[in-house]
Amino acid sequence: MKRRDFFKTAALTAGAAALGTSDLSAGETQQPIDNRKISDVAFPEKRPLITYSDRPPLLETPREVFTSALTPNDQFFVRWHMPDIPQYIDEKTFTINVNGMVKNVLKITLDQLKNDYEQVEVTAVLQCGGNSRSAFNPTAGGIQWGNGAMGCAHWKGVRLRDILDRAGLKKGAEWLAVSGSEKAAYYETPNFVRELHLDELDDHVIIAYQMNGEDLPYLNGFPVRLVIPGVYSDSWIKMLSNITVTDKYKHLFFMDHAYRVPDNDCECETPEKPFPKTKPIYRMNVKSLIGYPVNGGKLTHKSHSVVRGVAWDGGAGIKEVQISLDGGKTWDKAQLDDGSAGRYAYRTFRYSFKPMKLGKMSIMAKAINKLGEEQPFAKDVKWNHGGYKFNGIDEVKVEVV
Amino acid sequence: MKKLFIIALIALTPLMAQVKGKIEVPYIAFPIKMGKGFDAVQANCLMCHSFGYIINQGRQSRKFWRGKIDKMIVHFKAPISDKDAKIIEDYLTEHYGNGK
Repeated sequence: MKRRDFFKTAALTAGAAALGTSDLSAGETQQPIDNRKISDVAFPEKRPLITYSDRPPLLETPREVFTSALTPNDQFFVRWHMPDIPQYIDEKTFTINVNGMVKNVLKITLDQLKNDYEQVEVTAVLQCGGNSRSAFNPTAGGIQWGNGAMGCAHWKGVRLRDILDRAGLKKGAEWLAVSGSEKAAYYETPNFVRELHLDELDDHVIIAYQMNGEDLPYLNGFPVRLVIPGVYSDSWIKMLSNITVTDKYKHLFFMDHAYRVPDNDCECETPEKPFPKTKPIYRMNVKSLIGYPVNGGKLTHKSHSVVRGVAWDGGAGIKEVQISLDGGKTWDKAQLDDGSAGRYAYRTFRYSFKPMKLGKMSIMAKAINKLGEEQPFAKDVKWNHGGYKFNGIDEVKVEVV
Repeated sequence: MKKLFIIALIALTPLMAQVKGKIEVPYIAFPIKMGKGFDAVQANCLMCHSFGYIINQGRQSRKFWRGKIDKMIVHFKAPISDKDAKIIEDYLTEHYGNGK
């Protein structure tokens, strides 16, 4: 196996494709494509970000943002499924509709949401199930995201459970079909609807109207979105406008075909032998990312250097982050923040060292959660057709000068 | 008069939206490759998504691209004719193929 060339980072121009050939043997997972160029074009309420598509908008957060416990709203990644996103929401007339098997059909205005219910807050990581997809080889289907299809925010809103209590569930109610306001180009196209089982709802699941102390940006789902801490973002419905309570699971494209992994222990398969049974990607696995330094960066010889980054999982909480400066042979503990942001938030880490040797060097980070689960080496992450749930040990390569 | 002014301010506060008026998502000119069959790609694919969606899938096999076109027809109900579907398949395989 040949590793990628040392500084052969894929610095691509704005809007350029994530093409480029891999010299790895088939099936060997690598580090995701890194250092893609930030676009020159800023989207509404956003700074310029890595841009994969304008319609629907797909924007990735660059690596260096991930030294912070919270990801700023204007750098927070964006991912929509449908081309037609409402360009304007009237805050006075917008309602969240709750219907189906309920005793009281509700049309909740934003004013009611903010005043008639208990207000709660949670800090939680929002990560696309396809984050880091470009690590997979052969190329998995879907947008070839680098590491930044994720962010962590402090969310404020109302418990979904409280809203359902107000509506009053009828006997036999089991499923929630949740949808937002994005529309397809064709009337016949299935809407982006997620189905949640009532058993999945705990008190941390909220309908949020605030993100990091501000209104949600339009492109992150203004005026309200679902927040499901610990779970991948495909279920965090944006511009949430309708909740229908049912007794039966409805077979929908986005539930039965998208965002699924092989239903076996390794959640893996090969392109030649796809695994017949699949399951939702659901809970996030343990992962970390180095925010500083970045690939191709320079450190000063014999000077104090501090590696910084974030670690997270599906809600068990991060126990430890370890750093390796010798390609994964030996590991040393990084310092963690106090964890006060909670078990669904990024746990920031830092690791101080003096680079004593001139030249190129590798820095790796590995997170271990409170269940004892730890990140595998990138090369050991097994392939799946959708390129979901990559959580290989992160590595950046720098030069000491 | 002063009292009136204060009342007016309070009344306005809850209406202060972060964004006033419509948002507009900018247009990005993605560097899609020109070639035989491009017209069919433009006519059929662009209705629902940008060219960025195509070129950022990475290089893929003919089977993959055919599967994507079928997904658009079967699941997303895109009205793509059989003839155009084949033209698009050939185009994608030629320009964004992986040799398989």
